Amino acid sequence: MTRALVVALAVARKDLTSEWRTRELVPALGQFVVLALVIANFGFQIDSRNASTIAPGVLWLALVFAGLVAFGRAFAAEREQASLEAMLLTPASPTAIFAGKALAAALLLIACEAVLLPALALFFGTPLNAALVVAVLVATIGMAALGCLFAAMVARVRAREVLLPLLTLPLWIPFVIAGGQAVQVAMGARGGYNQALGLLVDFDILFVVLTSLAARFVLDD
Amino acid sequence: MTRYYTGAAAAVALMLVAAGAIFFVAPTDGLQGPVQRIFYLHVSSAVAAYACFGVVLIGGVVYLRNESATADRLARAGALVGVVFTTVTLVMGMLWAKPIWGTFWTWDARLTSTLVLWIIYAGYLLVRRLAEPGRQAARFAAVVGIFGFIDVPIVHFSVTWWRTQHPGPVIINEALPPQMLLAFLLTMACTFFLAGVMIAIRYRIEMLMDEAPMAAGAPMVAQSEPAQ
Repeated sequence: MTRALVVALAVARKDLTSEWRTRELVPALGQFVVLALVIANFGFQIDSRNASTIAPGVLWLALVFAGLVAFGRAFAAEREQASLEAMLLTPASPTAIFAGKALAAALLLIACEAVLLPALALFFGTPLNAALVVAVLVATIGMAALGCLFAAMVARVRAREVLLPLLTLPLWIPFVIAGGQAVQVAMGARGGYNQALGLLVDFDILFVVLTSLAARFVLDD
Repeated sequence: MTRYYTGAAAAVALMLVAAGAIFFVAPTDGLQGPVQRIFYLHVSSAVAAYACFGVVLIGGVVYLRNESATADRLARAGALVGVVFTTVTLVMGMLWAKPIWGTFWTWDARLTSTLVLWIIYAGYLLVRRLAEPGRQAARFAAVVGIFGFIDVPIVHFSVTWWRTQHPGPVIINEALPPQMLLAFLLTMACTFFLAGVMIAIRYRIEMLMDEAPMAAGAPMVAQSEPAQ
């Protein structure tokens, strides 16, 4: 168990180091989410009255698509250099390697959320409070587990850019439903925040367990 | 070969019997009028679709355990037939919703989860087309099939938490008069037979394609990059 943890942390550290040295993904994602907000502004005719009803939807759209890009990239470098095969040849368990990749991708997405949430507060005038941040972070955990599983899968498939959203988005819907509710409440709508947050935690547990069971079949080939 | 023709002919005949029961045995609904007759095939094909996806789930789990080619082909056949029945359910549901609810679509729990169901298994079929045929495609598809099956009840449950409009299960509540129940059960049995025949035929096609991929007209695999 501790051995798996060491492997996972090492893989995550490798991914984060390589991102830190190239700095290609996070700045691009940050710019991507800001662009999404600009487009939403022109698409929706935002003013001070409707901003709080539209903002949660814009947040989830931007987040979901940024997530697809982030998780798609998680395995791109490995594929280009065939380094995933090399990692799998070591005695390390595929599940631990997968956990490391998912952890790194989740942290990169969180870095992108650190741009998205303040930008949303700035451009849409919505509150930026702890409830909002907690809901988005809790949703990120499960989304990262699922997103990485399917990114690992499509990395070896033709037409991966098309297939990743097709497979991942429907499975993310539970997170968007519960997370959407939580974010709406955090931004001032009425409803049960704790209920939605509890549901998100349940989904996290369920999908983290399921993806760690399935990772072996997707990676080990 | 003749077995499949007999099966298909029997399925068509049974569906015609079911149509007879729907239009001549079942009484017209007092409140909704003749539109309510959509109910029989709508619910039957929804249940048949769930059963097909159950086949996909079981096929996937069995495949991941022991790599049985039979389980994998059964899962493939189940997914395709299931998507067909889900399409029927969605289209008939929309036709029914327009006169009764006044709109083709509403983001109700059951509608949302059925749409997600359709999207997930359409994705399943795409994985099968795009992944390298053989072990890889079978494994990936098995994982998608298992996750899809788990995801749908979750979507349903989480939307129900906030809003719902679709009527609950009327059969279980014993709200159906006996003639309607008879027509419904008959339609359900016939639809299940049809689904079974379709899966059997599709299974046979998949088997032929596995044996001779070129002869059966499977798409050529374009290898645009070095093999992984």
